[in-house]
Amino acid sequence: MAIRVNPTFIDDLNRYGAEDVQLCYQCGDCSTVCPHADDMYIFPRKSMRFLQMGLEQKIETTLEPWLCYYCGQCSIQCPREADPGETMMSLRRWLISKYDFTGIARKFFKSRLTEVLTIITVAVITAVFLLFYGFSGGNLTIYDGKGAFLPSTFIHRFDLTIGGVLLIFLLTNAIHMWYLVMIKGTDFPVPWWIYIKQLYQLPWHFFTQKRYSECEKKQEHPVFMPWLIHLGLMFGYVTMLVLVMVFIEQLQAGPEIRWQVHIFGYLATIGLLTGTFYFIRNRIRKNYVQYKKSHGTDWVFVILLFYIVLTGILQHVFHRTGLNVAANITYVIHLMGVVPWLLRMPFSKWSHLIYRPLAMYFAEIRREAAARQASIIQTVPVLIK
Amino acid sequence: MRTGIFFCQVQDNMNLNIDAIAKYSANLPDVETVQILRLKPLPTIDFICGQIRSNRLERIVLAGDMPGYFKPVFTKAAALTGANTDEIRLASFQEHGTKGENAMDRAKAIVACAVLGIPFPLAAVPGGNPVNHATLIIGGGIAGIQSALEIANAGKQVYLIEQTGTIGGHMAMFDKTFPTLDCAACILTPKMVSVGQHEMIRLLTRSNVVAVSGKPGAYRVKIRQKARFVDVKSCVACNICAEVCPVKVKSEFDAGISLRKAIYIPFPQAVPNAYLVDETSCTYILSEGQKCGACMKKCPKECINLNEKDKIIDIEVGNIILATGYEFLDVGKIEQYGYGVYPNVLTSIEFERLTNASGTTGGRIVTKTKVTDKKTGKEQWIFSPEGMPPKSVALIHCVGSRNKKYNPYCSRVCCMYSLKFAHLLKEKVPNVNVYEFYIDMRAFGKGYEEFAERIKQEGTFVVRGHSASVAMKNGQMVVRGEDIFNDRLVEFDVDMVVLAVGLIPSQGTEEISRLLGVQRDSDGWFSELDYNGSPTDTDKGGIYVAGMCQAPKDIPDTVAQASAVAAGVLRSLTSGKGIGHMSSLSLSEIESRAKKIHTI
Repeated sequence: MAIRVNPTFIDDLNRYGAEDVQLCYQCGDCSTVCPHADDMYIFPRKSMRFLQMGLEQKIETTLEPWLCYYCGQCSIQCPREADPGETMMSLRRWLISKYDFTGIARKFFKSRLTEVLTIITVAVITAVFLLFYGFSGGNLTIYDGKGAFLPSTFIHRFDLTIGGVLLIFLLTNAIHMWYLVMIKGTDFPVPWWIYIKQLYQLPWHFFTQKRYSECEKKQEHPVFMPWLIHLGLMFGYVTMLVLVMVFIEQLQAGPEIRWQVHIFGYLATIGLLTGTFYFIRNRIRKNYVQYKKSHGTDWVFVILLFYIVLTGILQHVFHRTGLNVAANITYVIHLMGVVPWLLRMPFSKWSHLIYRPLAMYFAEIRREAAARQASIIQTVPVLIK
Repeated sequence: MRTGIFFCQVQDNMNLNIDAIAKYSANLPDVETVQILRLKPLPTIDFICGQIRSNRLERIVLAGDMPGYFKPVFTKAAALTGANTDEIRLASFQEHGTKGENAMDRAKAIVACAVLGIPFPLAAVPGGNPVNHATLIIGGGIAGIQSALEIANAGKQVYLIEQTGTIGGHMAMFDKTFPTLDCAACILTPKMVSVGQHEMIRLLTRSNVVAVSGKPGAYRVKIRQKARFVDVKSCVACNICAEVCPVKVKSEFDAGISLRKAIYIPFPQAVPNAYLVDETSCTYILSEGQKCGACMKKCPKECINLNEKDKIIDIEVGNIILATGYEFLDVGKIEQYGYGVYPNVLTSIEFERLTNASGTTGGRIVTKTKVTDKKTGKEQWIFSPEGMPPKSVALIHCVGSRNKKYNPYCSRVCCMYSLKFAHLLKEKVPNVNVYEFYIDMRAFGKGYEEFAERIKQEGTFVVRGHSASVAMKNGQMVVRGEDIFNDRLVEFDVDMVVLAVGLIPSQGTEEISRLLGVQRDSDGWFSELDYNGSPTDTDKGGIYVAGMCQAPKDIPDTVAQASAVAAGVLRSLTSGKGIGHMSSLSLSEIESRAKKIHTI
């Protein structure tokens, strides 16, 4: 397959955060120190090379950016200060925008203004819609039950609609990713049974994030800190998503606390709060290599999440203490953050939640298929006339 | 001649105010137009042709840091308009040394000379001071030795001062030279001996410059000669003193891999061939005459005097040659290679001494063996001739060189000496596996590329890709790297790692630059006047640079530069014009001289 070279690719990637790729002189120090590089997937040097050569078509089919968890060792070691770690991060951003067929992600990554304006617009539309709905049928002084300002059945339906939209985008993007990686980027046959055999990779990597913890062995972090906190954040997030999507009616009932549901909510809140606090603090302090450069979308990500968690807590407190008016108002404010956040998910950094485990899954499939192919080639003698 | 001046600046120069220079040059005779151009957008041919036509230009002056970059466009335009392409003159600021305080005046003078069509070096000739015929050479390495011999053989007096107890420098430590694999000592020691015996060379070892005064052609230099404690003339190097000396310290000459006594001779062929006492470790000197003194009592020639004091020597010289050489970067601070942690990780100079036949193992390449000190019970790793030869060795290039954290520059010799090590290993250790980890193979000199090819054919595994980690796995050293050409990650079990350590200016460079007022570049090496045109002169009159202290270079280049320096010194001695500071030349002096030449 002929590969077209895109000479402006490297300039294009500048907007995603990779500024110093051109400095790289291909010494291979980064691949050497990378805890995840192995014979099948050698990075970051190779990705840097592809970038320098403008091999856009090659990079869009690679999995290497997803295999990197940005421990920053490569950027520390780099003799040219070309920042391979940040380049891999930028490639992940670029890949997200590549998998997204709508082109919205590309706009968001390239212009912070567009992103912020879109979020504000969606937030305002949400507020107008909710207030209109609330005042047309409900009473601001009632939080739950009959005549409620925002009844839980309505919120449930509202959630499920947004969740459906979200799922459609995520699934199509995931299929696009599968097409790019496994069809376009794999030049050897992959039998279907390997897909099934390796299926356990998906939940395994989703729930343990084992590779992230492997990343830290060489780090000077306090023991397993980012991994543990990231894991807490992820579990908190997923729990919250399930609670909101499925158990919203039980959650919203009150004012007494139903421990069988709420205990999960509290645990999830702790995970979310520590996570967002930790990552915001690191990004401000710039204390480790991976937090030295923050792309605009990184800030939007953590700040919006922090906002949602904070308003959610406030709303919960108001409701449980019987301040129904305040609870209803904070509910609207809370949803003003949640709706843009959820709608933004497939187009933002958030989507790594699904791409990462998928990438590990594909990577293992590819590895096994390649090994099978190699053994076939070895065992079948080639006749040369 | 109707002249047009175009200022072509590729990037902003902090020292220069281009507008002021443009204003000055507009007033020069025959100047019709002055234009300031930028790199972006590049001047179009249309624009230049228009300028040439409308001003009917006969001469075009391109001024700037690198005006040669723009010359092709102007040549094309001149050819199109029918102007004389030979009259495109370059006024290169960078090439003629516009730095420091009088950068503006220098730049103006460069433009003025170009407008008159006179080469700048022709007009800018410092002169005036009568020249003392003696020459001082600071540094007794191969560069200093070569210059000293060249000048002394021409019949002029030379003072050669050297910091350590013997001349010879780093070259005396080497085993073989690349690419010819000649024995380094066989080339160097005859030269050292002739320096020691030459009637026109006064050799001052253990000496430092402490003060310099005077002007070009007549420098007064104050030299402190540290006490040697041994009379050079009567010492016969019988070694009895060293046998009785109880103090053992690491040998500088052996790069710290063997021990010497406090009274010692650096190596058997040292010049002057006499013992000396290390005042920092001698018990007698440290206790101010209270303890020891065994060597004084035993010496059959009674030439040891441990109470000797330092001497101050005042000399007057006309020219000074700087040949202060280099040092190795401290690899201990580059942690990933484990130098100082794993015993068998060596620096290049340590390996050089190990493989040298006059070294501690007699030239056998062995790994270190563990010994227990009987008195203190401490465990130590040392080289002993009975040690095990390594089964596999990794040679890692570019350690600290071409690295923005340490040395941004290329140290220039490492590729070649690492290849030489590979050859020596293959030659001396049967069935050894040698892995070379390199980034770019810089085999730049005569016969070097062929040498590199030869090493590859000898069976050395040359891995294109740097290694950034040396680790210990189950008691076995493992070197990890990326083999870029074969697209795989490699891990080799090795018994020895040799690091091709980057070079830095020697310790005293800063001090000497302060004493003499010679500028240094951003990396700490001495600045030459012009890298292309006069690579041996400095902007101080009568002060020259030779060898490594100007920039990393290999032995042939060092010797060539040292001889070139001698030519410069002899020219100043024989021309009868005297010498002066280039930097003190004023704008009006250069201008009037240029006009004078122009009228001839």
